[in-house]
Amino acid sequence: MKLKKYLTLTRAGIIESLQFRLATVVMVIGNILYLIVVYFLWKAIYASSGTDIVNGMTFSDTLIYLVLATALFNFMEMYTVWEIGRSIQSGKIVLDLLKPIEYRRYLFWSYSGSFITQFFFTFLPTFIIVAAVTHGAIHLGLNLLFFVISVVMAVSINYSIDFLVGTICLYTESIWGINIMKQVIVLLLSGATIPIAFFPEPLKTIVYYLPFQSIYNAPLSILLDGTPQPQTVLVTLGTQLLWCIVMMILSRLFWKISLRQITVNGG
Amino acid sequence: MSPIIEIKNVTKEFKVLNRREGLRGSLKDLFSRDYRTVRAVDNISMDIEQGEIVGYLGPNGAGKSTTIKMMTGVLEPTSGEILVGGNVPYQNRTKNAQEIGVVFGQRSQLWWALPLVESFRLLKDIYQISDADYDNMLALYQSLVDIEPLLHKPVRQMSLGQRTLSDILAAFLHDPKIVFLDEPTIGLDVSMKSKIRTLIHALNREKKTTVILTTHDMGDVDALCRRIVIIDKGKMLYDNDIEHLKGFFGSYRTLKIRVDGDLKTQADVIQNALRDFSVSADDEWISILVDEEKAKVIDVLGQLQRSFSLRDMQLEEISTEEVIKKIYEEGVQ
Repeated sequence: MKLKKYLTLTRAGIIESLQFRLATVVMVIGNILYLIVVYFLWKAIYASSGTDIVNGMTFSDTLIYLVLATALFNFMEMYTVWEIGRSIQSGKIVLDLLKPIEYRRYLFWSYSGSFITQFFFTFLPTFIIVAAVTHGAIHLGLNLLFFVISVVMAVSINYSIDFLVGTICLYTESIWGINIMKQVIVLLLSGATIPIAFFPEPLKTIVYYLPFQSIYNAPLSILLDGTPQPQTVLVTLGTQLLWCIVMMILSRLFWKISLRQITVNGG
Repeated sequence: MSPIIEIKNVTKEFKVLNRREGLRGSLKDLFSRDYRTVRAVDNISMDIEQGEIVGYLGPNGAGKSTTIKMMTGVLEPTSGEILVGGNVPYQNRTKNAQEIGVVFGQRSQLWWALPLVESFRLLKDIYQISDADYDNMLALYQSLVDIEPLLHKPVRQMSLGQRTLSDILAAFLHDPKIVFLDEPTIGLDVSMKSKIRTLIHALNREKKTTVILTTHDMGDVDALCRRIVIIDKGKMLYDNDIEHLKGFFGSYRTLKIRVDGDLKTQADVIQNALRDFSVSADDEWISILVDEEKAKVIDVLGQLQRSFSLRDMQLEEISTEEVIKKIYEEGVQ
């Protein structure tokens, strides 16, 4: 019965996102253009390097990685920062706060519907096409299960970070700059735009101690690892779980403190 | 029975940064710690009983919204005590949310892209309304207004009036004990206004819902409220029934007419005919301030029609602002 409260938001999200067919089409076209750019960019990089393998990745490895990263981005990006910022500016947040559901959960579940549509409409087709075109470059086995677990945690970490950044809007009352900054940092340090294997050594070490790589790098490396060692998988998933918990606690705490600030000082 | 809302000596202060002007000032503001305290609500107390419709009036910036936000739990009072249905709202916001419904005039809580019925279903699950209660409520709505055509229309395609109506229905859906309506009739035409007033009145009667209504429209107040509370600059000016206030300022209405000929000279003629009321004229209208305790506006109009050929007429109610001005000038006993 309690779950129904949340699943109804998922349901509405699915219906809502299906209303905007044109938006989906435009997004798909945009992605294809982005991927064309990526293709030629990396082709040039590989051509100029003179070898077939750069940093332990072949051209097709890199391309598969980046295509799937883009697909993953489409499905995980929730524009939470925008949403929080906009509802603060318009004052709609008051109405959301007056729902008998905690705001952080309310927002997450409102978005969960578009997760599901995006997963089926963008990620899954992309994955199937990539798998078919590359003839078995992606190992189809137990790693798929680990991948799903990993993505679930990635979604949670991504949401926590977004919510944390969105909360800052309560103080700044502006969204644009903050959102752009967050997006650049997350996409770069998570390995969504450039595979982490290409990072210089010191940066690579730093990145592995940050939560961002758990969002894109972790699920993709689990998926694309043809011969997974139980230990690597365990470490990757374990790290994700740790970040999952830490970021959730942090974002909740920050929201709670900020909201108190607002109820005391007014917005 | 104890009151549903108890407010005791509530004060709310905000800290506001003192803004300076110009580019240099804006740059300085970035590092400024120069705050001043604004008292938005100043020592207000009132008790509201279950089932009352209370008109909460005051000019813009008087502190109405701040009071409402404190009652809903979005703001915490600086000092004083608020109890809503026995809860302290800001401490139990989520629990309190189950007991209240809100409509904020210009904003909608409905799902923009979805048909109204989907919003209702969402609210049904969010507020965990049982199937039986939900069906009863929809049946009640159907008996009050014709909602069938609205139910299947996406909210974004609705007119402002339809949306406001839908928002009010949505606020009452989970049968809350209290509904806050913040300027529900703003920007609506006369027929929609009256439709919405009738609806609010009926829902209050059927469900014994307490309604707190803020508005600038004296028509809303006249149609709905027995009791009114007036605040200005955060201070409570008046808290009593509407009859009392009416008796105090009299039931004045301004009748405006246009006649053939020079308005100034005609005004003098009318003044001679109507000795009881003051008549004045500007470039467009002749205004007659009618005290309805002495004569009905309609009778005055009839009398005028017999001796003048009227080209146009207008009737103006006394506005909240005028009432407040009068209270300030003359005080309330």
